Amino acid sequence: MSAILEVHDLTKDYRLRGGLRRPVLRAVDQVSFTLTQGRTLALVGESGSGKSTIARILARLEKPTAGRIVLRAPDGTQVPGRFYRDHVQMVFQDPFASLNPFHTIGHHIARPLRLHGHDRAQTARQVDQLLERVSLAEPALARRRPHELSGGQRQRVAIARALAPGARVVVADEPVSMLDVSIRLDVLQLLARLQREENLAMLYITHDLATARHFSDEILVLYRGRVVERGPADEVILTPRHPYTKLLAAASPDPLARGRAGIGPDEEIGDEIDAASAAATYDHYTGRWTRPQA
Amino acid sequence: MRYYLRKLAFYGAALWGALTLNFFIPRMMPGDPVDILLAKLQQRGANVGPSARRAYELLLGGNTNDSLIHQYFAYLGNMLHGDFGVSVSDYPTPVATVISSSLPWTVALVGIATLLAVLVGTGLGMLAGWRRGTWLDSLVPATTVLAAVPYFWLALILVAVFAINLGWFPLLGGYDVSLSPGWNGAFLSSALRYGVLPALTIVISSAGGWLLGMRNMMVSTLAEDYVLTARAKGLTGRRTMVWYAARNAVLPSIAGFANSLGFIVAGSIVTEQVFSYPGIGSKLLEAVQNDDYALMQGIFLVITVAVLGANLLVDLLYALVDPRVKANG
Amino acid sequence: MTDLNADLAAPRPRTGRRVLPRWSPKLAIGVGIIVVIGLWGLLGPFLVGDPEAIRDMGLTAPSRTHLLGTTQTGQDVLAQLAYATRGSLFIGLLVGVMATVLSALFGIVGSYVGGLVDEAFSLLSNLMLVIPGLPLVIVISAFVPASARGSWTIAVVLAITGWAGSARVLRAQTLSLRNRDYIQAARVAGEKRWRVIGVELLPNLLPLLASQFVFAVIGAILSETGLSFLGLGAANSATLGTMLNYAQNGFALQRGAWWWFVPPGLIIALFGCGLALVNFSIDEIINPRLRDIPRRERRNRRRTQRPVKRLDDGAVLDGTVLDGTVLDDAVPDGTVPDDGAVLTVRHLSVTYRTERPVHAVRDVSLALRRGEILGLVGESGCGKTTLAYAINRLHRPPAEVTSGSITLHDRDGEDLDVLAFDRDELRAFRWDKLSMVFQGAMNALNPVLTIRAQLDDVLTTHRPSMSRGERHERCAEALRLVGVDPRRLKAYPHELSGGMRQRVMIAMALLLEPQVVLLDEPTTALDVVVQRGILRELLRLRTALGFAVLFITHDLPLMLEVSDRIAVMRDGRIVEEATAEQIAAEPRHPYTRHLLDSFPSLVGERGAFIRAGEDERSQAAQPPAAASDDGIAAEAETR
Repeated sequence: MSAILEVHDLTKDYRLRGGLRRPVLRAVDQVSFTLTQGRTLALVGESGSGKSTIARILARLEKPTAGRIVLRAPDGTQVPGRFYRDHVQMVFQDPFASLNPFHTIGHHIARPLRLHGHDRAQTARQVDQLLERVSLAEPALARRRPHELSGGQRQRVAIARALAPGARVVVADEPVSMLDVSIRLDVLQLLARLQREENLAMLYITHDLATARHFSDEILVLYRGRVVERGPADEVILTPRHPYTKLLAAASPDPLARGRAGIGPDEEIGDEIDAASAAATYDHYTGRWTRPQA
Repeated sequence: MRYYLRKLAFYGAALWGALTLNFFIPRMMPGDPVDILLAKLQQRGANVGPSARRAYELLLGGNTNDSLIHQYFAYLGNMLHGDFGVSVSDYPTPVATVISSSLPWTVALVGIATLLAVLVGTGLGMLAGWRRGTWLDSLVPATTVLAAVPYFWLALILVAVFAINLGWFPLLGGYDVSLSPGWNGAFLSSALRYGVLPALTIVISSAGGWLLGMRNMMVSTLAEDYVLTARAKGLTGRRTMVWYAARNAVLPSIAGFANSLGFIVAGSIVTEQVFSYPGIGSKLLEAVQNDDYALMQGIFLVITVAVLGANLLVDLLYALVDPRVKANG
Repeated sequence: MTDLNADLAAPRPRTGRRVLPRWSPKLAIGVGIIVVIGLWGLLGPFLVGDPEAIRDMGLTAPSRTHLLGTTQTGQDVLAQLAYATRGSLFIGLLVGVMATVLSALFGIVGSYVGGLVDEAFSLLSNLMLVIPGLPLVIVISAFVPASARGSWTIAVVLAITGWAGSARVLRAQTLSLRNRDYIQAARVAGEKRWRVIGVELLPNLLPLLASQFVFAVIGAILSETGLSFLGLGAANSATLGTMLNYAQNGFALQRGAWWWFVPPGLIIALFGCGLALVNFSIDEIINPRLRDIPRRERRNRRRTQRPVKRLDDGAVLDGTVLDGTVLDDAVPDGTVPDDGAVLTVRHLSVTYRTERPVHAVRDVSLALRRGEILGLVGESGCGKTTLAYAINRLHRPPAEVTSGSITLHDRDGEDLDVLAFDRDELRAFRWDKLSMVFQGAMNALNPVLTIRAQLDDVLTTHRPSMSRGERHERCAEALRLVGVDPRRLKAYPHELSGGMRQRVMIAMALLLEPQVVLLDEPTTALDVVVQRGILRELLRLRTALGFAVLFITHDLPLMLEVSDRIAVMRDGRIVEEATAEQIAAEPRHPYTRHLLDSFPSLVGERGAFIRAGEDERSQAAQPPAAASDDGIAAEAETR
């Protein structure tokens, strides 16, 4: 139950092209959270909320403008930067894009193993083991190329790749949103099982409130780069406090909500969240609203 | 606005780059062009004073006491005034005069021929892509032969067939030398007749490239959702083809115009040589053969400026045909 | 970012990127030509006599001793041709390699590294591109004394002036590849930069590099020929260009010595043609859309690239294998006349006539009642989009309707047989009786025409009698109908947000007040809040205008909320059809049940889903968010 990854006041600005003034877009605004062993934190939001930017920063694909990321070893000491990637890995959204069409499945899993200190003989064994662990025990699968696999199989390969270096933190960026609906839950179940087995800390990024609620322990709701609500998964979804979370919950399709006057009640859904409430954050743990210092 | 400024800045930089290149090439090369040039001038009975020598030294480098920087700025000054010195091969005509008398021929020939090639090529390419898999489309690979033919060789063949064997068109030159150049019917029709074969050479060998590019883009564009929408809307085939498919498919061809123009200019220089056409390409080669470095430099600059100008024009037009560029800068 | 089903929207070659071109007649001819000319250049010089030998038989026509005749000085043209071919190929290859290396350096490395390096490299290649190459080469060659002009000098000059174009092409492609997830994934795995470029990126650029190399070779041979023809080529070299130069100076043309100047040009033209034909095949790897039709992998539309697909994972549910079985009594057989139907589909089958025919739609019968919303639910590749396209006859070869009928029961009582329409009838039918909204709101609008032009051409086509003013009024009214400011008529699609574009599409679909609107995943690419707004609008309009909707989606929960009836499709068949209430309350087909179970309820029980840390976590450990805090919260909310 120890904290592995602490994120403090993460901020990311993008410079927009156009104009001499070079306007700045704040994609992520002072986001803080902690990932803990064996637990899942969900970042929920719509496009433009900054959730994927956070994933990319955690995966070190981008540098934050401000803020700190502290990775802790099991003994509580800080892990130096050059070993960061041994510990933090990522599962990408689109399994059709995240595997190199030129290389075999084996290559995708063997490379991280080799990079993280396995020799050749070990690697070959490990590749088969990893594939088995993600329920891809088909013989000779490692010699096939991505285009011969279905979307679900590809995503399993991507998960195996993330686990290969022995990661303790997995950032899953919409891992099932591009898959066919009937296999989404299976892939999520697989992630959950691996998490239990490995005691992983997981960051689950999604726009889907329902899976966020069921898959994760804790939810942060992001709106325009800011955390507007945080708390235990069930509480955030079942008793949302922030108007934006309420809006999201009301807009999400729900098989049990048949007959909601055809479609959600108009007066409850304003299309815009006013600036004042957008800037406030509700924390279910403290039960308090907080606002950023002006 | 930002788009236009960026383009202007880029072509300004390109012009400056070309001028600088022009300044350094003769200085980097072995040999002493100024001496060769002055020797030639003296052969022609020119009275070469120190000032003329200095002008050539600025252009070509050589034994001068000035610093390189100083030479460079003096050279830029001369170029901006259009002062390219005196031509050796056409002594004592100034280089600027030689260029201005031959430039219109090339601009007219290359301009008209390119326009024709673009229209014919993209038009046929549009049809070939639209009627994919029909006889028209199956002709597409054949056009690659035309694109792979050296310009001048095609010119030679055309001359052999149409000028020598059939005698339909004159063999050489830009106009009937018995006529005096001017804006009169006889001269213009003669110029037109003399221009047919050179123009045909350029059209035949460059239209294939436009055709292929357009055809491939048409095929890609036809798979776009907006073309499907146009079909679902029940629009006529013609409107769908022109305003939905071709209108979008032509954009890369326009954007890639710079690439094509280089080939066209190269081809026309050689073509002019075959036909002894009185254009700037022939002059360039004449200058090369006579070691007329001043004329050579002048012509290179003029061609560069013309090409840059044409590209700038196309880039500016591009902003009119693709509304997205201004938004993206 | 939240694109639920973008795998359906993005073109994605199902076969993956091929490394080798597909064997085709074009490729065979191209390779054949290249090999023959290559061998001729390589071996020819050993087979022929001395090309320099001067004989006293100038300009003789081809004969048995001199197969291609002789030159002015009696040299054997065939012998010269062999050596000249070798010379030209050598230069072409040399320049091709050098120019490709340069363009790869400036195009690939620059754009991968990014930042200032990229800016500088890109500026340099753009500058090199606009400065005309050949005049520059001529000027440079002219300054180099003839004695110092060797083949290598010429090759270097040609390479330096010829790399820029392909650098630009490579840069564009690298920029798009470097943001692909698999490149990012390699970086996350901890690959070194050079390895990402060399092992992950470069192989995927190979087809493009090959094509650029081919272009560079053609370009180099042509340029060198031109230079040599002008007498500015390498000193003491024998190339096809120098041969033509001699021919020109020897008045071969004027003397009718065709055997002297035709063969060198022909060799260049043929070689260039061979390379170009090979390039056709390479282009087809780079852009799969260019492949010749009919092709094996080509489907009608890219959305239906997986026309028949089994459930790949988790096909086993509760021990029951989900197969394509159809519950007979749950599916309308189409023979029963449906009261008040506006569209009837009977026993429709659509087949892709490919090498292995794919039955994308099999014996489907559907009836859409006037004013109702029928949800057609299925996963990718189930045939739902193919079915929608067939109803509008938008399917293209190799897709083909093999049996069945589609009937639109017009308002005035007439039955229209859609499959029997000729071209003009079909055009008049489309959009007027039945309109369609596609999934890709981003791509369904023509990017270079204004919204107004795209609304207007529907009216000019279908309502030619309307005046300009009336049309404008109608377009503005249609936009107002869907909650878009009519001032947006002047806008281009890229100036609108995704939700706005889809609203415009809906306005366009309703412009002629059709009786049926087909919606093909209309909101899949949009955020839920925007989706909800659009659906609300659509339902309101349906009530006001009374059109019937065939709503195609993979999102069963959404359909349960929105539609009156739902048809579930799988493997080309409708496996179950019932009212939304029945589907929600008692789904009968195991596949329907499986689909329903695939969507966890937002507010309901967790079902089969197990949260990872569940057992270890103690609820009590969490601070309560109960009554005591409500006061503060309420206070905050009222501020």
